[in-house]
Formats: sequence, C-alpha cells, structure tokens
Amino acid sequence: MKKIKNKSIVSILIIAALFMLYSPFYANALNMSEVEESLTCYVCVGEPLNIDRCGGGDQMRATIKTMIKEGKTKQEILDFFEKKYGEGILTIPPKRGFNLVAYAAPFVGLIIGVIIAFLLVKKWGISAETGGTETRDSALSSDMQHKIDDELSKLDEEA
Amino acid sequence: MVNIGEISKFIAFVFSGLTMFFVLAGLVRNDVRFIESGRRSIYGAALFITLSSYALFYLFLTNNYQVEYVASYSDRALPLFYKLTSFWAGQKGSLLFWSWMLSLFAAIVAFRTRKEVPNKNIPYVYLVLAGCIMFFNFLLLTISNPFDLLSFMPADGKGLNPMLQNPGMIWHPPTLFLGYIGFTIPFAYAVAAMTTGKLDATWVKQTRVWTVISWIFLTIGIILGGQWAYVELGWGGYWAWDPVENASFIPWLVATAYLHTAIIQEKRNIMKVWNMVLILLTFILCIFGTYLVRSGILESVHDFGPTGLGGYFLAFMIALFIGGVYLIVESYGEMKTDSTIESYLSRESTFLFNNVVLLALAFSTLFGTTFPIMSEIVTGKKITVGQPFFNQVNTPLFLFLFLLTGLCPLIGWRKASVDNLKKNFMIPAAVTIIGAVTLAAFGFTEVYPLISFSLSIFVIATIIGEFKRGTKARMKLTKETALTAFPRLIIKMRRRYGGYIVHLGMIIIVIGITGSSAYKIEEQATLDKGESMTIGEYELRYDSFKYFKKWNREIYAATLTVFKNGENLGTISPERRYYTNAKQPTTEVSIRSNLLEDLYIIMPGVTQKEQITLSVTVNPLLAWIWVGSILMVLGGILAIIPKRKKRLAE
Repeated sequence: MKKIKNKSIVSILIIAALFMLYSPFYANALNMSEVEESLTCYVCVGEPLNIDRCGGGDQMRATIKTMIKEGKTKQEILDFFEKKYGEGILTIPPKRGFNLVAYAAPFVGLIIGVIIAFLLVKKWGISAETGGTETRDSALSSDMQHKIDDELSKLDEEA
Repeated sequence: MVNIGEISKFIAFVFSGLTMFFVLAGLVRNDVRFIESGRRSIYGAALFITLSSYALFYLFLTNNYQVEYVASYSDRALPLFYKLTSFWAGQKGSLLFWSWMLSLFAAIVAFRTRKEVPNKNIPYVYLVLAGCIMFFNFLLLTISNPFDLLSFMPADGKGLNPMLQNPGMIWHPPTLFLGYIGFTIPFAYAVAAMTTGKLDATWVKQTRVWTVISWIFLTIGIILGGQWAYVELGWGGYWAWDPVENASFIPWLVATAYLHTAIIQEKRNIMKVWNMVLILLTFILCIFGTYLVRSGILESVHDFGPTGLGGYFLAFMIALFIGGVYLIVESYGEMKTDSTIESYLSRESTFLFNNVVLLALAFSTLFGTTFPIMSEIVTGKKITVGQPFFNQVNTPLFLFLFLLTGLCPLIGWRKASVDNLKKNFMIPAAVTIIGAVTLAAFGFTEVYPLISFSLSIFVIATIIGEFKRGTKARMKLTKETALTAFPRLIIKMRRRYGGYIVHLGMIIIVIGITGSSAYKIEEQATLDKGESMTIGEYELRYDSFKYFKKWNREIYAATLTVFKNGENLGTISPERRYYTNAKQPTTEVSIRSNLLEDLYIIMPGVTQKEQITLSVTVNPLLAWIWVGSILMVLGGILAIIPKRKKRLAE
C-alpha cells in the first residue's frame, strides 16, 4: 500500500512540476484576443473578430488596442462597442431579458435530468429490494441466481 | 463522362428504389427470394453511384470546366491532390460523396448478412438503408446535381478557396462524413428491431463495431478539423464553437452517451428504451449537422450558404423524428425490462448520470447554436452566440463529466459496498488532494483551471489504479512478470482497457485545452530587419525576407531566429500568400511545437520596405491535445479488434 502511495505521489509531483512551468508568470493582464473573441466584426455580420481579417475588423482591432493601452477594462471596451453598434456586436449575449433563457436552460435541463435519474434509480432500487415489481430473482432457481451473481461479479474482469 | 455520371446516378436511384420494392414485396408475400433480390439491388446502387463518383473525379482531373461544379472549385493551376479533394469541397460533391459512402456501407452490410436473409430483422435493415440512399440520390437527381453544365466552356475554373488548400482538406471532410454516415447502420438495425419486436441486445451487439467505427471517424473528423483550424488562420483556433463545429460535436456527445449505455444493455439487458432514444437521436443529429451546413440558416465560416436543400433535410428530419417516436411508443411495452439499476452505488448508475451530463452538454450546445434564431423570432433582435458563451455555460458541465469519468471505474456493477468504494476511492482522492494543493502552492489559483487540472489528476489516478489492479490480478493468476502481464492484460481485455485508453486520451486533451486557454500569452510587434521582440522566455529576431512562387501561389516569407533564455533554437518562417484565384492574401501560421508549449507566429502585415508585423502567441501544453486525440482513437480501435475465433475442439 505504501509503495502504491509513494509511486502515485511521485507521478503527481511530476505532473505538477510540468504545470509549474506555467505558474502565474503567464497570468497576465488583459490581452487583445480576450476582447476580440467577445466581439464580432461590424462589417462581416456574425463573424467573430478573432477570425475576421477584413478592413472593418482592422479598425476595431486598432480601437481595442488603443483602449487597452489607455487602461480600459474588458467590460468597458465591450460596453463601448455595444453602445456604438448594438447588442449584435457581442459574441456573448448580455445577461438580461430573453437572453437569460440561454444561460438558464442548460442547467435547468441538467437539474431535471439528474432529478429524474435519481428518482429512477431510487424507484428501481426499492423495487429490487422489495420485489415490488416482478424481478428476475423470483423467476430463477437459487442455483441459477448464484451463477448469475458470480458471472456479474466477474464482469469487471471480463468486460 | 458527364453522361456516364448522370446516367449512373439515375441507375443508382433506380436500384435503391428496387431494393425497397423487392424487400416490401418479400415481406408482404413472405417470400425470401424477393428479399434476396432486394439485397442484391443494394450492390447495384453501390456500383452505379461509385461509377458516378468516378466520373466526377475524372472531370476534375481532366479540367472539364463546362461542368459548373468543376469550374467552381478547381482551376488549371491547382495541384493534383487538391483537384481530387475538390470533389467534396462544395455542397453538391459532398452530397454525392455522402451517397457514395452510404451505398458502400450498405453494400458491406448486405454482404455480411448474405446468410441472414431469412432473419426477421434483416429485411427491415435493408429497407431503412435503401430509403436513406434513395433520399440522397433523389437530391442528387433533382436540386443538387454535380453534373450540371454551363452553357459555355470557360477557359479556366474559379479555383479552390485558398483556405481549403491545406492537407486538412484531404482527411477532415471525408472522416467527418464517414462518422455521420456510419451511424445510419445502427439506426437501421434499431428501427428493424422495433418494427419486428426483437428487442433484446442482439441489435446492439450486431452494430457495436459499426457504432464504434462511426464514433472513431467522427472523433478523427472533429480532431482533424480542430488541427486544421489551428494551423489555418481565419478559422478561430482549434475550437471556436462555430455552429458547424457544434453540429459535429452534438451527435458525437449523444453517440458517446449511447456507447456507454449500450454496454449496460449488452451486459444486463436493461435501458432498452434509453438506447433506442439515443441511437435515433444520434442519427437525427447527424442529419441536423448536414442540414445546418446546407440550409444557410446560421452564419458560419464553414457552411455552404443557402443551397435550397434546407427544406428537404428539415422534412427528412421531421419524418425521422415522427417515425422514431411512433416506433418507440409502439414498442415501449416490449422494451420495458424486469431487471433494474439497484443502487446509486453501481456502475450502471454512474453510466446513467454520465449520460445525463453528456445529454445536458449536447442540449446546451444545441440550444446555444440555435439561440440566435429563437432570439430573432421572440425579440426581433439578431444576436450572436459565440465562443465565450459556450465556454461559460459548458465548462461546469464538462467538469462534472470529468468527475464522473473518474468515479465510474471505482464502482462495481450492480451494487458496490461502501467499504469497497472507500477502499478504491482512497488513493485517487489522496493523490488528487496532494496534486491540487501542490498546484495551488505553485500559483495555479484560478478556479476553473485548478478544478480542471485536479480532476484530470483524479481521472488519471483512477485509470492507473485500474491498470495496476488488472496487472496484479493477472500476475497472480498466470505467474507472469509485470512487464509481460501488463501488455497481455491490455490485449486480452482490449474492449475494457481500450475504453480506459480513450478516457486517458480525453483527459490529456482536457489538460491541453486548460493549459492553452487559461495560460496563453500573446504579443504583437512591428519589426525592421535585425530588430527583435520578446514574448515570455522567447526572443524573436527578424533576419531576412524572401519572395518566391510555388504552384498556384506567390509567397512572401520572413525568416526569424528563435531564442529561448538566450539559447538559439533555430529559425521559423511565417508567410503571406497570394493565391492566383484569391482576392485577398492569406496568412500562413508558423508553429514551433513541443510537449510544453507551442510558439505560434502569424505575420498579418508586410510593407513594401519589408517591415513586418508579427502576432505571436505562446500556447502552453497545446500539443497535449493532439497526443490525447491520438490516444483516444487508438483506444477506440483497440476496443473493436475482434477476438480470434476459438477452435471447435477447444
């Protein structure tokens, strides 16, 4: 057991050492691409600015560069462009009005899915324990049941 | 050759119709001979659509620009291998490719089942496959004909879009299509099983190899697309959550969910309804993917624009959906099983929750992709849903999925005891805590990257634990040494350990994505010859500039010497290219890659005085994405290598 622990710890330290090479040195200030990916080109409608290479996009990039140099935050820059070109210029819908549906729906879906899965397993679990539904156990001889249990316990090895 | 292409396409359509006719006649008259004729007609459809495809290849190679499709996607200066790939560069050719591959797949099924014709399910499999082939051939005959002629013979073609002149064009579209197309086979078997009521795990077992192969192709297609987008500036990096990228990712997620629960049906004969829903959904989403690309309803750098096919694909999807729901409702009673999942602490249960998360991810991606349309309908405003939105919404779901990926191998089938779980859980949990604390101590304190790296450690620890347990058990049983037992364990139990290798690959990809997205740095500079710029530990010195012509392009290339901490690492050469058929220059990325980081250089600007503008990024751990991808594919292949048939005497 100790050996396993030691080896596992050594492996982890090696992985950690690799990550160490990228310590906070790289956690830098606001950069162009962070802002670019949040905007679309005002000329090529719907095309993210980090992909776009047209003259209109170049103008926007120059403005962003200036604003970053002036010390503006990402939100301030996005607000500036939204005020100028409207909500459609953003690649991330503002969290207001109907847009909230886009943010909430996936998590609501997940929560509903998890609840249903929990309830199903609970229902099935109770059924299996109480024999509330017709289970396969009732139809089998105990010998056969033992055999099936043995087979199932071997599944981990044979899967 | 145009006539051969046209006529062959028509004959292929007739053969797919004949298949349906003979099979239906065989079912009505209960006569195997008709069904056998239907089976043979599938070969006819495959043969003639192959001939039609050959004709299109020939027209590209012989520069026949009177064919509108050839003139639109090729020109005389185009290198030979790109002429061949132009086949699937446009909407019409890619549809012919789809029909061709589907017919070949159907022919393989027809051949492999040649002795099973009297089997109750098989005629329905032929019927579904022939129906799908007929749908695609109908489109090729009516509104998407790649053999349409121009009224004149142009001197040259328009040429292939420069962004498509990349080795990615050779492999990415075909592999992605093969993934989509392959899922038609399990879909056909599922429909057949529901129609005949033979709903045990037989259809799942029969289609397992098809499902995994399709999943592997889809995976390869997605990865190659990412790799192509990474090296070809203008497609937003390896993953931009573009609608068309999403269209391939959504069926991949649902197919991944199906691959997991199919194992449960095989082992325990439960979750029959669920698996039917998943495989129907996977196929419909594959069609949805091609609908998105061909309908023009969403804006994407990858789509074909409005093609007039949207309505047909929509109708096909609606028909599939209604038919699928009808069959599931009709056979629901027969699919209900007596066996159940007995405990939260069971592998079946973790598979179920893993399915919920995978479907939530698919739903969230689908919802985000189509939200601009919904928003326009509801509010009248056109909005854009891009990369930051998907990163924000999907990241927590992915983290939850990774947690389950780690937990799953620790829990046994049916009902695990708490003591057993504790025993299995202890070491990976301890290792994860140590890893997380170590990472935090070294300054990795941003929440998502820290959680992502920690969960990666957890999953890797559990997988290593599994390999270790298996090797030890084998050593005990066979008295082999560890070096012999380990590879033999993997070879003997390749399905199980292939699966773990896929998981390992996925987690390595996660590490690459986390490192490259959370810790990348970038700089821009304008340099004259002899000047340098610094980024992180790198220094780039602009040494020289050259101009030359190659194939159908003029190339302007800068040569830069790369130094890291003062050590000379050699030269690197970003380019600007002017293709003969293009209005705008393109920018060729130059990458210096190793396992630790990618130095990624683009040259967006060049002046007449040979002054250059550079945009440089250091992407940490990015190569891990490609390493992990290769592992995922290898794991998948390992899992489907068939076992040698035992001799009767044994």
